[in-house]
Amino acid sequence: MSGETTPERADASTQAPIPVAFFVRGKVVAGDAVRHRSRDLGVDFATPEIDLNALVTPRSELPPLLDVPVKEIIDFLVECGERMDFETNPYMQEALEHTVKVNPLPRRVIENLFRSAKQYVSREMLTTSVEANFGNPAVLDGWVERTDVYGNKGALRAFPPRMVHMLAGNAPANALHSIAQGALVKAINVFKMPSSDLFTCVAMLRTMADVDPEHPVVKSMSAVYWKGGDERIERTIYRPQYFDRIAAWGGGEAINNVIKYLGPGIQLISFDPKTSISMIGAEGFQSDAVIDEIAELAAADATVFNQDACLASRFMFVEGERKGIEKFCAKLQERLAVDRFSASADSPPPPSDIRNEVETLQLMDDAQTWGRFDGRGLVVLTEEPVGFHPTNKTVNVVHVKSLDDAVKYVNVATQTIGMYPLERSTALREPLASAGGQRVVRLGAAAKIVLGGAHDAMFPLQRFVHWMSVEDATSGGLY
Amino acid sequence: LESCEAVRSGFIFAWISPSSRLAGGEYFMGQAVDTLLEYISREDAYTIPYADVRQLQVAAINERFQERIGKIKLLALRAKEAEITEIKRLEDVVPLLLPHTAYKSYPESVLIEKRWDRLTKWLDTVATYPVDNVNLDGVDDIDDWVERLAQAGHPVGCSSGTTGKSAILVASRGDNDWVCKDYVVAAAWGSGVKPAQDREVFGTAVVIATVRNEAIGDALAAAYGVPGKGRFPYPVPPITVGSIARMVALRKAIADGTAKPGDIPEYEATSAARQKAMDDAVGICADALIEARPRSIFIIGMWASTYKVAEEIRNRGYCGKDFTGDNTCYIAGGLKGAKLPDDYREYIYETFNLDPARNFQMYGMQEIGSSMPRCREGGRYHIPPWLVCLPLNKAGDELLPIGESEIEGRAAFFDLSLDGRWGGVISGDRIRVDFGPCKCGAHTPSIRDDVVRYSDLEGDDKISCAGTVDAYVRRL
Repeated sequence: MSGETTPERADASTQAPIPVAFFVRGKVVAGDAVRHRSRDLGVDFATPEIDLNALVTPRSELPPLLDVPVKEIIDFLVECGERMDFETNPYMQEALEHTVKVNPLPRRVIENLFRSAKQYVSREMLTTSVEANFGNPAVLDGWVERTDVYGNKGALRAFPPRMVHMLAGNAPANALHSIAQGALVKAINVFKMPSSDLFTCVAMLRTMADVDPEHPVVKSMSAVYWKGGDERIERTIYRPQYFDRIAAWGGGEAINNVIKYLGPGIQLISFDPKTSISMIGAEGFQSDAVIDEIAELAAADATVFNQDACLASRFMFVEGERKGIEKFCAKLQERLAVDRFSASADSPPPPSDIRNEVETLQLMDDAQTWGRFDGRGLVVLTEEPVGFHPTNKTVNVVHVKSLDDAVKYVNVATQTIGMYPLERSTALREPLASAGGQRVVRLGAAAKIVLGGAHDAMFPLQRFVHWMSVEDATSGGLY
Repeated sequence: LESCEAVRSGFIFAWISPSSRLAGGEYFMGQAVDTLLEYISREDAYTIPYADVRQLQVAAINERFQERIGKIKLLALRAKEAEITEIKRLEDVVPLLLPHTAYKSYPESVLIEKRWDRLTKWLDTVATYPVDNVNLDGVDDIDDWVERLAQAGHPVGCSSGTTGKSAILVASRGDNDWVCKDYVVAAAWGSGVKPAQDREVFGTAVVIATVRNEAIGDALAAAYGVPGKGRFPYPVPPITVGSIARMVALRKAIADGTAKPGDIPEYEATSAARQKAMDDAVGICADALIEARPRSIFIIGMWASTYKVAEEIRNRGYCGKDFTGDNTCYIAGGLKGAKLPDDYREYIYETFNLDPARNFQMYGMQEIGSSMPRCREGGRYHIPPWLVCLPLNKAGDELLPIGESEIEGRAAFFDLSLDGRWGGVISGDRIRVDFGPCKCGAHTPSIRDDVVRYSDLEGDDKISCAGTVDAYVRRL
């Protein structure tokens, strides 16, 4: 999505720049030495200068969390999470007031995301995550002894990494997910904040510092902003001597910049930019009652973050009776224009390229459409997927002969596939995985998760850590 | 080229407007348009105060609207949606301006599946004149298709999408005549060098081979070049729409996962051969310019490629003192991503002994037919009365208030000269436009010489977990 698609706030540039604070290894850093303009809404803000020496922890220092058991880390995160309600937490309140100025999502949706953020630090989520990623979580807390088939002894530890987390710009409050991930692997963390979410990460870290300013989790965390692609910063710090891993939520130019700096010793763990889809079998179009039900489920999947989320469905492949499918399209359009927990009835209207292409399809009799170019839902029914990327509550319903024919439209960028009925996935899941798909869910449940699952076809925490091995081999082996 | 005959035969600009016709039986349609187009033959084309033509421009846009609404299907659709039946104020035309991307809105699959009938049908939705007279028998690639359209009276222009689709811009023969005339008039005003058929014309840029670009080159050569000499064409194989389309098709196939590994080296071999031709061209062009150095030269090029030629000339031991002091140039703006030293302009001027004051620069775009020459004293691009500048907000849906001071916004134009397609276009450029007088003494609205694309301004700072498979295709 381009920033051009978001509304401008006309008075933005005439106001004083919004102050943005940093958080560096447990301490708030204020200052307004550097002026910036936010990418999406063109709002001016000012940050302190980044002190690179303070930001990078030398390798001669052991990670602050090294000797803190995971259980204690989880206890601390859960306790902090309980204090993150924006109704009662002044840091979060202030962050909300500023976030609405720089993020294109409507205030009510941002409030809801703030409300739901603490699920990322629920005890169940954290515990399951550690267990799913590490099998034996003891590797995080110490050296786990092992003996091979020849009787050689060794010990293995998931040693804390030094990490930069490039936070996603489209999901305010998701910073807490990255904070939790960084804490669980006991990393030394630098969060690179996006210009559309400059406040929540620091507000969360300040909340944590209020719980215990000396806690090693707090001491392991820094959050700063620089303009993505700023070579002065990136060329300096993206070096294996300073960081082992860069975890990035997203793709495009921001990632292309990082790729330049990858090499031996510094790895990218990328939560790649994704497109999600739905597949609806002929079973869905046989009665009005079922059509109503699946239209609501499909709309719920399509509208997450007003369709600016990786798991938000954009293409819906359908098979079956045309008449039922047309009814579904009409109903879906109605349901797209509904206020939801993570979506608003009105979203910014689709960008002009979508309008151009849809108008062209209409003029060439290649598409039936429901709705208008007003951000309240547009459904485009075609025989083949459209050439544009549907955004801003635009859904392309593609009528295929059979769901098997839809598999060819799945590619390496396909993340979530909402299926109706879910039983159809038994026959489709292998071809879908082979094509690049990553996750099949019940239609309507794209934003729900089964705890402990893979993310973007991997177990990321396992890839974050520095696997250190101590070996005492006397026989067997290679030479 | 036939279409530029008028320009060659002594620069008598007898413009016969295609808009002069009776419509509705009540008033003479096209009067305002004609009056404004006639400025091209007048001395004050680039100096007349905006206030003198403002009202006439609104009337002229309405004339164009009334003529075209029944012809251009996309315009009719837009007008119906916006419930517009008449243009009474500039604001009224804003919903009817087509974004530059409208000319890329054809389904990509038609190129890949070679559905020329479908592509023609698409073109018909944006064309003024019905595109139903084109013989599509035996058309194999898009270059053939473009040629057949030209034969049927629909010269098609194209823009190069470096990674994506090309815009396909339908025009009429009248449009090409106009462009030729417009460029020569603009060049003469902007450079202060009167066309006197007294210099050798050199091309130093790689341009897309379209009827329009060829015609402009020929027109400038006819106006400024020594008769019978022709122009020295930059010696590289032309970039055709077909070559761009093949690249786009391969990219799409890679994204879809259907490209075979063997397809990629095949394409890369073609690219490598092209790169070699580009490298060789620099030396060939440098030699030709060195040979021509005792005579007056007119260089038509772009900054990046002209810089390379200049470097080669210096490498061979020649510089400004070897060239006459009478040279002139038309170098199109924008570096298009090329990295050049800060003093690249001075380096080029010095190499060819060019007086910067005799250098013609202009602001224009493939989507419109008319150009805006840069004045010498103020360094600003001047907008003639037949081209209406409509500064919009960044979102491109609101006209900014036009007042005394300079306005920053998204550039949109209504080109009253455009015949073969709708004249209203929204660009991707951010401009600063002033509707008051310029330091140079001209009173036409003028644009500051710092035009940038909004997409370049936004930079690399966007990060989102939502994205498309485009991010998974490495640049070819």
